[in-house]
Amino acid sequence: MIFTFEIPLLLLMLVTAAGAILVKDLMSAVLLLGSYSFFLSLVWAWLGAVDVAFVEAVVGAGLATVLFLLTLFGTAPKDTRLRRPPPSLTTLIVFPLLGILLLYAASDIPGFGDPNSPANIHISPTYLERSFQDTHTPNVVTAVLMDYRSLDTMVETVVIFASGIACALLLRRHGK
Amino acid sequence: MNIFLFCVMVSLTILIGAYLYRVLQGPTIFDRLLGHNGISTKAIILLIVMGIYFDRVDMFIDISIGYALLNLVGALAIAKYLEQKGHP
Amino acid sequence: MGILSIIFIVAGLFFLIVAAIGVIRFPDVYSRSHAVSLTDSLGAFLMLVGIALHEGLSINMLKILVVLILLYILNPVIAHATVRAALRSGLKPWQKGDS
Repeated sequence: MIFTFEIPLLLLMLVTAAGAILVKDLMSAVLLLGSYSFFLSLVWAWLGAVDVAFVEAVVGAGLATVLFLLTLFGTAPKDTRLRRPPPSLTTLIVFPLLGILLLYAASDIPGFGDPNSPANIHISPTYLERSFQDTHTPNVVTAVLMDYRSLDTMVETVVIFASGIACALLLRRHGK
Repeated sequence: MNIFLFCVMVSLTILIGAYLYRVLQGPTIFDRLLGHNGISTKAIILLIVMGIYFDRVDMFIDISIGYALLNLVGALAIAKYLEQKGHP
Repeated sequence: MGILSIIFIVAGLFFLIVAAIGVIRFPDVYSRSHAVSLTDSLGAFLMLVGIALHEGLSINMLKILVVLILLYILNPVIAHATVRAALRSGLKPWQKGDS
């Protein structure tokens, strides 16, 4: 493969994100965020993480759009144009510096699919070899999520449940 | 054959760029909604072509079905909202 | 990959390109909806038929056909809902002589 396919997708994502910031209208920003989730999910699918792509499609493109719309429906007046103040001097100085720092830190990350990276030497083979003897579960992802990290998963589920209840309470229709 | 599929994917991405121009530019919100719908159609086709390219259609096809259904829910919700509120 | 499926995919790509040109060039939302619903559905139909022919007779071909039917039904439905919302919210259609 001469050039990698994720570069045009990432360019599209960048354009969409900039458009979602620069657009003058809340509804258009919601639509652009939906398109952004589509592109992000295409990038995940291209990199082979199909389950993450599915979650991104369901949550980002479907559920988040509808939740944003319900919020606009419940709160917004007729006029949904955005008024933002110009960025302050601190913002203009701090955020480019933060970006440069993160790019510098990212140069130490091992390359994509590098067979000599630490994750591919120690962790993945261990899980692949030992998970069946330890847990008697044929699916490795299920074994990691539900057995090795079961407490973590349980508390995550509690957090998601609490946020779902909060959304339902905030967005409920008042009694007719 | 793989090169042909790759060319198909790149041209679909360029088409997505054309629709994205309409989403970013569109004078009214309805133009943006139409452009978003076109982008989601292209994304569904692109996912299936990606599955053929990787020889793993069985993994990718389920996301496509999910996309197609969710796209309907989101777009209909936006259209209902605009119908009741009037365009900004 | 059979020659038939390549022909179908190229024809579908042609219609998708025509739809994209229409979406960019048409003057208002009512005419653009024709490009998105009609031409786009035909392009997606031909393209998915080509892919299903390449896939051969299996469960995956059945799922591709399900996606095809969903797209063929839902794409015009969404365009119709959009145009109806535009009409009900009082957007005037483009007339000859407007900018």
